This record gives sequence, C-alpha cells and structure tokens, in this order.
Amino acid sequence: MSNELIDFVLVSVALLGIGIYGLSVKRNAIRMLFAVEIIINAANLNLVAFGRFLPHSGGQTLALFSIAIAAAEVAVGLSLIIVAYRMYQNIDIADFRSLKG
Amino acid sequence: MLEISSTPLVIIAILGTVGVLLPIISIARKEKGSNSFYAVIAFAALIASIGYVAYQFLTDNILPSALFSEDVLVDDAFGGFFAIAMLIVAIFTTVGSFNYMRKKNYPAVYYSLILLSTIGMVLVAYSTDLVMLFVAWELMSIPTYVLVGFMKKNPSSNEAALKYFLFGALSSAIIVYGISLSYGLTGSTNIGEVIQGYSTLDPSLLPLALLSVGMFIAGFGFKMGLVPFHQWLPDTYEGAPPTITTLLAAGTKKAGFAATIRIIVLGMVVLNLDWTLALGIIAVMTMTIGNIAAIMQKNLARMLAYSSIAHAGYILIGLAVAPYSSLGLQGSLYQILNHAVMKGAAFIAIAGIVTTLAVTNIDKLKGLGRRMPITSLGLIISLFALAGVPPLAGFWSKIMLFGGALDASSTIWWAPWLAIAGVLNSALSLAYYGWITRKMYFEGETEKRVSEPKSVIAIMIFSIIFLVGFGVYPDPIIKFVEFAAPTLSLGVMP
Repeated sequence: MSNELIDFVLVSVALLGIGIYGLSVKRNAIRMLFAVEIIINAANLNLVAFGRFLPHSGGQTLALFSIAIAAAEVAVGLSLIIVAYRMYQNIDIADFRSLKG
Repeated sequence: MLEISSTPLVIIAILGTVGVLLPIISIARKEKGSNSFYAVIAFAALIASIGYVAYQFLTDNILPSALFSEDVLVDDAFGGFFAIAMLIVAIFTTVGSFNYMRKKNYPAVYYSLILLSTIGMVLVAYSTDLVMLFVAWELMSIPTYVLVGFMKKNPSSNEAALKYFLFGALSSAIIVYGISLSYGLTGSTNIGEVIQGYSTLDPSLLPLALLSVGMFIAGFGFKMGLVPFHQWLPDTYEGAPPTITTLLAAGTKKAGFAATIRIIVLGMVVLNLDWTLALGIIAVMTMTIGNIAAIMQKNLARMLAYSSIAHAGYILIGLAVAPYSSLGLQGSLYQILNHAVMKGAAFIAIAGIVTTLAVTNIDKLKGLGRRMPITSLGLIISLFALAGVPPLAGFWSKIMLFGGALDASSTIWWAPWLAIAGVLNSALSLAYYGWITRKMYFEGETEKRVSEPKSVIAIMIFSIIFLVGFGVYPDPIIKFVEFAAPTLSLGVMP
C-alpha cells in the first residue's frame, strides 16, 4: 500500500459515492443519517489528507471543527428521530405522509 | 485584526450572552409559563443589535463592501446590509411569537434558539473564510432543526423537522466536501485566496474546481430552495410553526444568498463564465416551477412556500447577470431586503390567523377582511408587494432586477429572456394572490369581527408603512443598496 495523496482522495470519493447511494436508496431515517455522516467523513478524510501534504495545518483544524459540528448535528437529528418514533412507532420516512400537496 | 467594537463581534456579544442566559434564567425561576418575559428580553437584545448596526452605518464606521479580507470576518457594508435584513426578520419572529407561544412549553429555550440562529445568519454574511462560513452556517442551521420540530406533540411539525433535518444535514455535508476540494486545490481556506488560487489553476485541475463550485451551489441551493433542491421546502414551511417559517423563509434563505454572493458569484467571474448561463437556467426553472405549483395549492402556508421558491428564482436573476451589469447585484440585494419584510409579514399574518381562527385552508378564509381587518390588510399589501404591484416596495426591486437583465443584454444574448420570464412569472403570481384577495374580501357576508393579537397588528402596521412608504419614496433604500452592493466587473481580483 503506497502512501500517496491520490489514494486518500480516491477513498474519499468512494465514501462520497456510498453516502449518496445510501441517501437515494434507503428510506430508514437512521440509515439516511448515517449516509450523511459518511459524506461528512469523506470530506474530513480529504481535509486531513490535503493538510498533510500542505505546509500548514489549516485542513486538520477544519476537520476538527467539522467533527465537533457533525456530533452536534447527529445529537439533534437522533433526538428528532426519537420524537418521530414515539409518535409513529416507525422511522421509515416513506410512511410520513401527513404533509403533501 | 477586527476591533472589539466592530459590528459582528458586538452582535455576537449581545445576542450570544442573552441567548445563553435565557435558559439559565428559566431554570433559576423554576416556572414554566411567562412567555412574554422571555420574549421581551429577546426583543430588547435584537433591538440593541439592529440599533448598533444602524449606528455604525450612520457614523460611517463601516467599510464599503470589501468582500475579501485577511481575517475570518470583515466588517463591511455588504455584511451590514444582510445583518439589518436578518435582524428585522428575527424581530418579526420574536414579536409574532409573543402571541403564538402563549401557553406553550419551554418559551426560554425557544427564544434562545432564535437568537443563536440569528447570530449564525449574521455571521454567514460577514464571514470571509470558509472555516468561519461553515461554522456560522451550522450555527444558523442546527437551532432551526429544533425549532421546526418544536411542537413535538404535533405530527406535521415532527415530519417537517425530520425532512428539513435530513436535507439540511446533506446540504452541510456537501458544503464541507466542496470546501475540502477547494482547500486541496488552493491550499487555503480564505475566500480571497481561494478565488485567486482558482484563477491561476493548472488547466488540468479545472474540472475539480468546477466540481467544488457545483457542490457549493448545491449546498447553498438546498437552503435557498432552488429547483431541483426544493422538495423539502413546501413540507417544512407548512408543518413548522408559522413563526419559525418566517425565520426560515425570510432569514436562512437570505443567508444562503449572502454566502452565494461571497463565494460563487465572485468565483464564477474568475473560473468560467458559462456558469452564469447555468445560474440563469436554474433561475427560470425555479421561478416557473414555484409559481405553477403555487397556483394549485389549497393551503395558504404551502402556497406561500411555493411563492417563496419562485422568489428565490427572481433573486437569482440578479446573480446570473452580476458579472455583466452592476444593476444585477443591486437588484438582488434590494429584492432580498424587500422579500425579508414582505414574506416575514405574510407568514406572521398566517401565524396570527392560525392562533385566532385555527385555519390555514384558503377556502375557509372567506370574509377574513371583515373578521380580522388589520391582519388582512397587512397580508394583502405584502402579497401585492410580492407580486410587484406599483407603488409598493416590491415593484422597485423587480424593476431593478429586470433592468439589470436588460442592461446585460449587450454582452450576453440570453439575458433579456430572464427579464421576460420574470415579468411573465410576476403576472402568473398575481393570479393566485388575486384569488386569495377575492376569498378574503368578496366572499362570505355574515362574519363578525374577532379581536386580533396586538403583536401581529404591530408587525402589520410596521410592514404596511415600510412597503407603502418606501414604495412611494424609494430613494433612501436605493442609496443604501448602492452603497452595500459590491462592485463586480470582469477581471476583478482580490
């Protein structure tokens, strides 16, 4: 296994693809949340990898910010999912159909 | 370095302190009710902030639009303009909630989240660094996810929150990915340096640069409700508490435009001018789809949600022609300020109608003009201002936008078509605004007048004065817009 920049970027693009696939195919709210998390982590991997090959540490700093913010976002998202589960006994977003027009 | 008395820092200090203290006060007081107590504190904080921005403008302490800076924030007129628009929206939301949040749980948390989200919106407009922009973007978004789902016993509020959250989280994920690509290509997160880096980029890397700009457009486009990223918007606007819909439609959407103007329009000038055609196509699609869908709606909130999508299209016209005509950006900024007041007033009117009569279906609004005369008058005036009927304020901003598109026609062939599409769409939108008017004033006969909430009346009177006053005498606002709009011409370099 080599240690080039392109390897990291390719892994990151693959993760981006997995995330987008998950969002477009899955209908379970938690799976969709995970898919979003995978995209954020793909971006973090990119940032850290680029930061390693650049002379300053801006990328790592942004990656730390992004991890912390993603944690806050997941906390809010999971709580919304729990509230929805208590109401519908289900977290399949295809079943949430009270709003349409 | 920014001085400690610069506008963004003072706004963070005022709103942040009050926003963090409100829940602590509510724990110390050990009581659940007293909504108006917290509302007054939040209102005072917002008035203090908008007063400080106005004071900075009046004493000429604000730089003309700088757009780029070494720092992460810049205290320029562009940011100040958006700060005023967003603080007006936050004040509308808070005042409207005086009435809406009565006898509901956790008022302190509610107002605290509004204040924190407002800080985020204001900082998005001021930030000149992608890290700062991202943090501000999330500070703006995360409180609104909670606020949309605040009525947790209400199924539609829950559903709206979950949909909004999934799309919002996706949009921020895409923005981080775009930032990571632009950081990798240019080695910097400062917006000025990124754009300079793009202009000297190795041509073989150009597709990646275009990909990152595309990701920015998609990420910000989700919040702005551009077609094809708009699916969540009608559901969320309908299901959310109507006061929070005000904050979303008039506030977070504008923050998306602020970020777009800072990054994409300027980046586009350097990168590749074909992007303006893409923006023009998105603008026309957004207007047309929004207006056509709005005609078919039965629910007032949902109709205004689609009309809000259409208005994102009008504003986008200005961004698409920005590199060719200085009127483009000015028209966009003018429309943004007007739209904040018009949409804010319309949604607060809906909040008033929902709390008093508990209806949002348009068929049940018969005779509203007799039941709630002042709310109806405010709603009608803001709807006609949205359609661009002279002599209301919305007319001048549309004239400026379409004038910008015609002005650009000497350089690009497709610009006049944007103006034509805009005028046709305005005519189309008059159809459904006129329909509401007819329901409210010319149908039903036996309705009695009901007492209207005082806070809603206050907002209606303010917006009637704003829309009619600045419609008859638009000079001060036009001067303000000209000062705030960044000058942007081909070959401009940071």
